Amino acid sequence: MVRIKERYLLVNIIYPPDAATSKARVPGLVAQHQPTVAKLTPQALVRAIKAEVAELYGDFGAGALEGNLSVKYLSLATSTFILRCNRAHYQLLWSALTFMDRVPVKDGRPCIFRVVRVSGTIRKIEEVAVERARKLILAAKAEASSHPQSLLSVDILGKDDAMLDVVDSAMGDEDMEDGR
Amino acid sequence: MALYDLNIAWPPATPTDRLLQTLTTAHSLGYTTVALNHTLELPFPANPTAPFPSLPSSSSTSTSTSSSSSASPKALPHILHRATLPLADPSASNYRLPSLTSVYDILAIRPLTEKAFQNACLTLDIPLISLDMAQHFPFYFRPKPCMAAVARGVRFELCYAQALSPNDARARAHFISNATSLIRATRGRGIIISSEAKSAFGLRAPVDVVNLFNVWGLQSEKAMEGLRTIPRSVVVNEGLKRDGFRGVINIVQVAKKPAAAEGEQTDDQSSAAEQGGKRKNQKRKNGAEDAQPVSKRGAKKMKLAARAAASEKKAS
Repeated sequence: MVRIKERYLLVNIIYPPDAATSKARVPGLVAQHQPTVAKLTPQALVRAIKAEVAELYGDFGAGALEGNLSVKYLSLATSTFILRCNRAHYQLLWSALTFMDRVPVKDGRPCIFRVVRVSGTIRKIEEVAVERARKLILAAKAEASSHPQSLLSVDILGKDDAMLDVVDSAMGDEDMEDGR
Repeated sequence: MALYDLNIAWPPATPTDRLLQTLTTAHSLGYTTVALNHTLELPFPANPTAPFPSLPSSSSTSTSTSSSSSASPKALPHILHRATLPLADPSASNYRLPSLTSVYDILAIRPLTEKAFQNACLTLDIPLISLDMAQHFPFYFRPKPCMAAVARGVRFELCYAQALSPNDARARAHFISNATSLIRATRGRGIIISSEAKSAFGLRAPVDVVNLFNVWGLQSEKAMEGLRTIPRSVVVNEGLKRDGFRGVINIVQVAKKPAAAEGEQTDDQSSAAEQGGKRKNQKRKNGAEDAQPVSKRGAKKMKLAARAAASEKKAS
């Protein structure tokens, strides 16, 4: 029996900085990759994606993703999630993500869903996710240090370190392992 | 390679901080050059002035002039100015294009009727045709004028934000139908992809856009070209038209007059190189024990590498 081929999508939620955050003088990078504060659950995410696919592709799309769309990992601290779907229909899922424009909860904030990596194995995706989180923190630190007028930068960096711990522990968690 | 977004909607009423928000978002998504689009109204002003606000340029490292912006000024992409002219009546041929050319970096035409579309494809001297795809057109995109336009150097622009935030229920369907038929008519050649984003939320990451257009029938290499090489060629060509002598010759860099000392130095170097070469030759003549005899292929490779390095130096 031939194995069912899958695709894993690593998705980032990006919040373009609005007036409030820019007044608080948060570095732009941190503002864009800020944690998702809404109580977003994997179930709500899947439901929203399915609704979007059904709106764009109708019954065909809904059927194509019916049994095989699942959220493998959802980290609100880094606004990152990993989706799994059938290889034949991953473009359909991807385009639906492109069309989504707010966090799928009640009164969700407007945001951009950015697909960062598509891969056939979850291991590669995991590596990329860890690598990206690390690079992001380094870049944010560099930006903050080159931007001395933001008085809050020290506080933010303190928070950032905490976030790094969250990331590491979350990445080491069992739920990142390949779902068998 | 650099990514381009040649259309960020800029109605003159846009507040500066919102514009900055859009620009920083575009930069963080990976776009290195964006063009602010000013859609002109008919009738066109007699002596137009570009009303764009002065933004901190991408190269300047001084502190940002606008205190409200949180991002440092280097987080902005390179900014160009562009005008889009809506055209309905092709018979009125005087659009004062030359006077606009001097003010804006890029010009584009938005044809509203079939005649205007044909006219823009076949005769008008503009680099871009940008259609409002979210409405229903009462005509087809026929391959012949479209391909003629592409062969003439005119590029078609597809703006994906028109599909992302549709104004009415059928807008998205119209966009998809128009986009697929235009892609079919041009076979994917000469298509530029840009956003026409009214706010930061209308922007998408380049790969997302490529995937989207791939779903709509544009091959992904061509979609990537539409974000990279083709807009770059438009920008460079337009720049050359404005700076260069008759759009052909341009002074890129003035060579320095070599000082006397410098000349001597280079002489020394070249003589040293000659000596080295002689030594090598001698070795080769003498030695069968030469550790690494330069084979013909190796020599060729070295030569090519040296030439490439020299040309790179020239380019930089």
